[in-house]
Amino acid sequence: MQALQMQKQSSEGLMALLRELGTAYLHLSQFNCRKAIDCLNNLPPQHYSTGWVLSLLGKAYYELTDYQQAVRYFSEVREREPYRLQLMELYSTALWQLQKEVTLSTLAQDLVAQDRLSPAAWCATGNCFSLQKEHDTAIKFFQRAVQVDPTFVYAYTLLGHEYVTTEELDKAMSCFRSAVRIDARHYNAWYGIGTIYSKQERYLLAEIHFKRALSINTQSSVLLCHIGVVQHALQKTEKALQTLNNAIANDPKNPLCKFHRASIYFAAGRHAEALKELEELKEIVPKESLVYYLTGKVHKKLGNTHLALMHFSWATDLDPKGANSQIKEAIDPALNHSQAEEDTSTTHPGEDYPSEGSSAPQHESSQEGAEFVSMRDESDESL
Amino acid sequence: MMTTKTAVEPVDPVREERTGKVREVGSQAIWSLSSCKPGFGVDQLRDDCMDTYWQSDGQLPHLVNIQFRRKTTVHDICIFTDYKLDESYTPSRISIRAGTNFNDLQEVEVIDLNEPTGWVLIPIKDIHEKPIRTFMIQIAVISNHQNGRDTHMRQIKIHSPMEFRGIGIEEFGNYVTVACQQYSCIR
Repeated sequence: MQALQMQKQSSEGLMALLRELGTAYLHLSQFNCRKAIDCLNNLPPQHYSTGWVLSLLGKAYYELTDYQQAVRYFSEVREREPYRLQLMELYSTALWQLQKEVTLSTLAQDLVAQDRLSPAAWCATGNCFSLQKEHDTAIKFFQRAVQVDPTFVYAYTLLGHEYVTTEELDKAMSCFRSAVRIDARHYNAWYGIGTIYSKQERYLLAEIHFKRALSINTQSSVLLCHIGVVQHALQKTEKALQTLNNAIANDPKNPLCKFHRASIYFAAGRHAEALKELEELKEIVPKESLVYYLTGKVHKKLGNTHLALMHFSWATDLDPKGANSQIKEAIDPALNHSQAEEDTSTTHPGEDYPSEGSSAPQHESSQEGAEFVSMRDESDESL
Repeated sequence: MMTTKTAVEPVDPVREERTGKVREVGSQAIWSLSSCKPGFGVDQLRDDCMDTYWQSDGQLPHLVNIQFRRKTTVHDICIFTDYKLDESYTPSRISIRAGTNFNDLQEVEVIDLNEPTGWVLIPIKDIHEKPIRTFMIQIAVISNHQNGRDTHMRQIKIHSPMEFRGIGIEEFGNYVTVACQQYSCIR
């Protein structure tokens, strides 16, 4: 009698546990990531510290674009259950996003050494080479992942992204279509098709596909950002701003929503709002050269040539590899403009410097002053 | 449009590719040569091995024709030649032509080499200082060192500028910080 009761209790306990795990999994599949995280965190510790639960937590944070946290959980899984290959491809992509070359390379080597027939291992290797900018090699490895398991959806998506990078858009399209054929809820592939159309400037089709992806993963601020940008390209400016507002409400940590909002304000001539947005961005991502570049452009449009030049020079300083030659091009016309302004503006430099000093990136203010003085000297000499 | 340059310093194309600003697009093109000695042809020119080389076998100018499947933006061309190994086979004057097919090639760059030992980087720009978009590139060897007839070229790489990662930032450039880049795309 007692034995029967014990059996009943243990089976009820088991059912309860399975119900909880199932709920968490359901939430995650529907991309209600925060609910899934709450569910999983409420599990008793002996179940919480298993590879399955921890890797699901990693995936939940990954889908929230919180790659730092995701990597934390996935690395714990690697420590506890080094033989576990499921979802390790997401770990490799999170490392790719964070650009952690060494960790990614180690992961790829470990996974391949463990099981040469696992698509996750070859996906990790492909990600590793893609991070090193060796895209042809990455393509080779993603093709191998597809070969090893033709039903592994993510390999097709990654292959598609690599083809987009090497501008082989037709091959990319067929990869993404294969991915969707295998799993229609693989929102990454719908997103990939959207990016192809947006590269071809077919913004209507791009918007449709991004929205399709969004219908699957409703909380992704990155998707909302893309939709906003595409809507702006389609001249639906008010809608775009609304979409971006949604995105920021969804994920306040995403700096690009604010950046795109600022650039739309600038394009629409709403300079004050753009500047406000950019000032906030300077706090969030103080080392991002593009923020200063855009601020410089806004000031240039407003005719504040000195402020514009200041921001352009900050932007160049923050971009040591000279990845963005546009900045240099922007400085030259602004410089010529300042020659004409020399006569009219006499007190501006002194007034502006103290107020702008607080929002400057890590620079000595004296260095800034010296740079600025040398620019003015050049313009004096040419007069 | 013709500009003549004297010896350019050797560079490392692989390092350039690693920065992510350019990528090698030779694999997306069809290569042909005006002439070659058997066993010293296109494969040896594109095999990433500096010991193997293309040896021409005809009259000057020797031509390397590179035809892309679609109009490609070309940022620069890197050529590996070595005077110490090849002496009179080393090209001394190279002309780069671009166009849509063999019949409408126009010279975009002429470069003089003076005993090069390694990679020579030839930037390809139009009159607006932007990389050119073209269907076909022809590398012509006009003359060799010591007035040699045939030429050796050990490796050629064609670089195209990388497209912008992320959306809506073409007029600005690429994000510099990882903090921004990680939000710029879904993978």
